[in-house]
Amino acid sequence: MRKSVKYFLWIAIALVVAYNSVYFKKLSDLNAGAAKAFDAAAYANNYFYKQLPAAIAKAPDIDKLIAMLKTDTAATFKTYGHALAIGTTRYFLVQGKGTITNIDDNGVWLSTASGNSVLLATEYVYGNALRDASGLIDINQFSSTMDLNNIAAEVDKIVRTKVLPPVKSDLQKGNTIQFTGAVGLNQAHLQLGDIEITPVSLKTIH
Amino acid sequence: MLFAIMMLAACHNGRATKQPKKIAVIVSTLNNPWFVFLAQTASAEAKRMGYETKIFDSQNNTALEADNFENAIASGYNAILFNPTDANGSVVNAARAKAAGVPVFCMDREINSTTEATSQILSDSYSGCVEMGKYFVKTMHKKGNYVEILGIVADNNTWSRSKGFHSVVDDYPGLKMVAQQSADFDRNKGLEVLESILQAHPDIDAVFCGNDAMAMGAYQALAAAGKGNHVKVFGFDGAEDVIGYIKDGKISATAMQFPKVIALTAARYADEYFKGKRDFPQKNPVAVELVTAKNVDDYVAYGKKN
Repeated sequence: MRKSVKYFLWIAIALVVAYNSVYFKKLSDLNAGAAKAFDAAAYANNYFYKQLPAAIAKAPDIDKLIAMLKTDTAATFKTYGHALAIGTTRYFLVQGKGTITNIDDNGVWLSTASGNSVLLATEYVYGNALRDASGLIDINQFSSTMDLNNIAAEVDKIVRTKVLPPVKSDLQKGNTIQFTGAVGLNQAHLQLGDIEITPVSLKTIH
Repeated sequence: MLFAIMMLAACHNGRATKQPKKIAVIVSTLNNPWFVFLAQTASAEAKRMGYETKIFDSQNNTALEADNFENAIASGYNAILFNPTDANGSVVNAARAKAAGVPVFCMDREINSTTEATSQILSDSYSGCVEMGKYFVKTMHKKGNYVEILGIVADNNTWSRSKGFHSVVDDYPGLKMVAQQSADFDRNKGLEVLESILQAHPDIDAVFCGNDAMAMGAYQALAAAGKGNHVKVFGFDGAEDVIGYIKDGKISATAMQFPKVIALTAARYADEYFKGKRDFPQKNPVAVELVTAKNVDDYVAYGKKN
């Protein structure tokens, strides 16, 4: 009798261990779980609409930034420039306004109050400018570089699909545009003559 | 007697502390000048900081790489600056070093693990190819047939470059990829692959290559077929011969990587690790810059002009 209880207990233990050792899950459920690991679109949405506006409100005027870069390049890069990657390219948040002097395949060329000519990109809105310029994203919070790449792609996509389409018809020669955005500059080969602004917002001033 | 033993032990410890720490540089291959430059720069920087170093060549073979790790660990190397051969296959080697208490700092190529390497210093291939994709679309005026020649299929850099490029180019339906094939980052294979593709698709307008060696091979195939002047070739790396070809108008663009920055950062991280630092970012992208006919004079092979 004692022996049979002992066997029963051992069998019960073996069954419990076996039951808890094997799990069956649908492959589609696992894939869905993996895809949910990092939602770059949701992150980008929160960043673009909730975090970026406050940072942009403190951004220098484009004319002021250009003037500071001319007088003290190193200090301006240090104070206003940000980038996630190691290198000499840094990104800057800017704001300002200008009159459209030309329109080409890349975007609209603006003449600012100080006479600087800058390109406001409306066609090729791709890259890391908007992700990096605020300095708000901490690389240490990400173990995958692809997550960071996807954030940049999703932020740019918001501009291409939500910000630009409603205003494109207003982008006519002679119109004055008020804008916010980001600029990428290479400190080692600084070219202030062909500054390209990736827009965050833009509107025509009538 | 006890005093004598203590004195002997003290002498032994004293000798041990005087010996410089040793840093192993384990590189995927020394059969490619880019990796030779990477390994030699990392080794030279570690030596400059006072460490004993040795370069181990894995000859693009994960089994040989495993032997190199075993040798480095058994020989008492205190850190490994590591350029992996395979994103998945190399994880076990980094894990072996970690288990032995030896920190691993990956250089340029990624391993598919966020726990086995202390830090990974990687070329930002994806972002470099986003810039390349923008330039490609502009240069092609948004239309035409093109071929993509990929690098080693098991290497993450191959796909980071391809994904970055396609994240832009695929938004332009006028650009049609008629063939996509691997040539293993090899110049001769690049030549052979494009020769073969040209048989089926003689009317291409451009070739995007995952590295400069394949771009050189692709240009060679196009020149032999009499198409060198009107089919545009785009590379990636910033190799010396491609910089020259961009100046000559034979190749349209490359993406400049900075192996010196990667190697110096890895060596500096090992030094900081020995001095007690532990909070390294797991993945450190190193910026890649687009080189075209417009700015080629600002660059030399593997870097910027000073």
